[in-house]
Amino acid sequence: MKAEDLNTGEKSTWCPGCTDFGILTSVKQAITNLVNDEKVKRENIVGVSGVGCFDKIYDYLNINFFHTLHGRSLPTMFGIKLGNPELKIIGFGGDGSTYAEGMAHVVHSCRYNEDTTFLVFDNQMFSLTTGQATPVSEKGLVTPSTPLGVHEKPVNPLALTMTCGASFISRGFALDIPNLTKLIEAAVMHKGFSFVEILQPCISYHNTTQFIREHIYKLENHNTGNYEDAMKKALEWDYCQNENSKIPTGIFYETNKPIYEDQWPHMKKWHTVKRNPDFRKILSEFKK
Amino acid sequence: MEKHILIGGEAGKGIAKTTLLISEVFTNAGYYVFNYREYQSLIKGGFNFNVLKISDNPVYSHDNSYDVIFALNQDLIDRHENDLKEGGFILGDKNLKGKNLIGIDVQAHLEKLGASAKLGNDILIGALAKIIGLPVEPVVKVVKGAFKKKIDLLEESIIEGYNCVEKKMELDNPDGKPKYFITGNEAISMGAITSGIDMYVAYPITPATPVLHELASKQVEHDFIVVQPENEIAVACSALGASYAGANTMIGTSGAGFALMTEALSLQGMSEVPLVVYLSQRTGPASGVPTYNSQGDLKFAVNVGHGEFVRVVVAPGDAKECFYRTIEAFHLASKYRVLVMILGDKHVGESNYSFDDFEEPKIKPSRYITEPCEDYKSYLITENGVSPRSVPGQGAVVRATSYEHNEYGYTTEKADEVIKMNDKRLKKLDDLKEEIMDLVPVYLHGQGKKLIVGWGSTKGAIVDALKDLPDFRFLQVSYISPFPAEEVKREIENSDEVILIENNATGLLGDIIAEQTGKIINKKVLKYDGRPFTSEEIVERVNKVVK
Ligand SMILES: Cc1ncc(C[n+]2csc(CCOP(=O)(O)OP(=O)(O)O)c2C)c(N)n1
Ligand code: SF4
Ligand SMILES: [Mg+2]
Repeated sequence: MKAEDLNTGEKSTWCPGCTDFGILTSVKQAITNLVNDEKVKRENIVGVSGVGCFDKIYDYLNINFFHTLHGRSLPTMFGIKLGNPELKIIGFGGDGSTYAEGMAHVVHSCRYNEDTTFLVFDNQMFSLTTGQATPVSEKGLVTPSTPLGVHEKPVNPLALTMTCGASFISRGFALDIPNLTKLIEAAVMHKGFSFVEILQPCISYHNTTQFIREHIYKLENHNTGNYEDAMKKALEWDYCQNENSKIPTGIFYETNKPIYEDQWPHMKKWHTVKRNPDFRKILSEFKK
Repeated sequence: MEKHILIGGEAGKGIAKTTLLISEVFTNAGYYVFNYREYQSLIKGGFNFNVLKISDNPVYSHDNSYDVIFALNQDLIDRHENDLKEGGFILGDKNLKGKNLIGIDVQAHLEKLGASAKLGNDILIGALAKIIGLPVEPVVKVVKGAFKKKIDLLEESIIEGYNCVEKKMELDNPDGKPKYFITGNEAISMGAITSGIDMYVAYPITPATPVLHELASKQVEHDFIVVQPENEIAVACSALGASYAGANTMIGTSGAGFALMTEALSLQGMSEVPLVVYLSQRTGPASGVPTYNSQGDLKFAVNVGHGEFVRVVVAPGDAKECFYRTIEAFHLASKYRVLVMILGDKHVGESNYSFDDFEEPKIKPSRYITEPCEDYKSYLITENGVSPRSVPGQGAVVRATSYEHNEYGYTTEKADEVIKMNDKRLKKLDDLKEEIMDLVPVYLHGQGKKLIVGWGSTKGAIVDALKDLPDFRFLQVSYISPFPAEEVKREIENSDEVILIENNATGLLGDIIAEQTGKIINKKVLKYDGRPFTSEEIVERVNKVVK
């Protein structure tokens, strides 16, 4: 299979030059590699996206796909996984929808550690609604809804997911396609909840391309099994644009933890279970 | 013959358990029993009670006057002494005060046997059996059978209680055939299992919680899963995810949780992923009176979610209907890929009803999943609007979406496609309406020329009241959406007088009838104090309204 096989023929509506194209390329390549290496069956892959600019990836990937509501990718992914644990779920979210509307789900998906992969397109901006601040926008940012400048400090999604118990935590860059591709493949293969933050400058409303290129670096000689080291790295960048900012990318933390769907001794692939409920027997159980 | 028993006291004192044991003795002997439960939103202390109506004829409701008050504290007597019937008795500890009190020195009897204080209720159960005219053996059998391990001196305590009082009443002999004794919530759980449920998702909330507990306790044996996620938004979204993946899925909640689910219920409308919702109403608005009853969410359910799409709402009137309506809900949801809501409430969900038997359901469970075909279109436009359902993993690319879309599921904003897809989704109504006609959407009880119209849990009290309202017949509306307009209109037109009875403050079914049939019902009997109607109350208030 070739990456082009994943094209749908739908016309793109992203701004020309949007960095989301870089993520799309990486996702297609990662899926192609995983399928060609027989690590994943193509028919078992399910994409899930919410609502924001990023969500349009739904129309550009020829795989099973559930396009859910704004901020609800995570619970939808969780349900699909429980509905059929053999499926490989790759979910997509934006920073606004994920950390504002859907924040509760972030905390709990990390905690559940169901075997799914979640990619957040982090442009530090509500872009599709024409550029308002999100919970990860830098302090002081002026937008039409925050003319006085953002008052709070941004949340740090990596530190947050570390604290909440995610078992795979990583950061990539939309314009570093080869490394992002590898990161996505590793995330999909990890057993448990895999969190991938993707720095994705919005060229129309929050163009940090230059800043990120100047401050980004790849984690090397980093022990991904050490929680304290990972936390230190997660906290290294505070999502504001400082002269001396250092932005690490790569896998921060990876560990083996029990996954949510393994708690049921009888967990099956539901739609293949041929049920023939015995009404008389069921009735007798309820009889007082 | 009818006997009415009030059993109550502080929460946490075994009132529910005592009630169930007494009921079981009667239903085993072949009596029909109805049990109404009233409790406060607290765990220990406070005040709660159960009301039993026992008869050798079918009964579906309780009354507010009692032959026996089984009192576990003084509070119960102070509140309900005046509800004692002529010739009735209060049974309780000798330290209590009240008229016609049969006071038992529970402490002395326990000491005599060397039994622990826990067996105090069993002494009183023994005494109740004697007073009301039951033999002691079946009581011993039922109470002993309720505990997994042997409890020392249990039998002796019951017999001690039995022997320390005199028989005061006579019971007619029933048919001897044991009855099913079941709550609406148990029947809904049973219906879900009979429908081949794969996954139940819920966040705890009274009065829907018993379904969560019931199904959770049965999940391993029946090979399905029960999941309690972080909130009702996650409940509804994950349920749609699971259903998209092929699982037969149901969610359950009450008003406050239902409010949080609404965005996802609208997503059901667009994505056409099958979903069954159990909505058990309680007294609102907001947190309201959370452990009490109401029929206040009818229009909320019928109109839930933004946008225009097909919503099916079915309202069972008793526990037996809860069972069959749940099976219908699963069937319709999968077959038409629609949202189906089972609209119950605290009264039908938590009251115990008794029945001779349950007939084998006619509907056989199916997920309506088709074999994958070439060039599969998730939203294929078909004659009846229903696109063949496929699930991921079978080979076809399966799409579900919250955006308007073309047949493949790709996003569209084109005017003609928007129209086509709206038409396709709404087209499903035609076949749905026809199928619902076979599912008894309305039912007429009685023969009178005058008409009572109602829905849901008021059925029991209205049906029990009909014997004292010979001029009336009762039109029970069970399918509220799609609405059986012709049937309802015809009955209204063929009646000398029409009265609407609802357990809410404004008469919500009346509004729907007006909208759907143009008929306005001006005479209303409404009750909105958090308590269900009794049949006595219905007789009195209907007579007042027609006078
Ligand atoms: C419940 C709800 N609230 C608000 C919106 C409007 N809305 C659509 S996209 C969007 C912003 C998305 O931001 P983000 O998730 O960061 O994605 P981006 O557009 O930046 O890719 C908002 C607020 C919506 N669709 N649904
Ligand atoms: S607004 Fe920003 S994120 Fe959205 S498509 Fe344009 S460049 Fe991309
Ligand atoms: Mg964004």
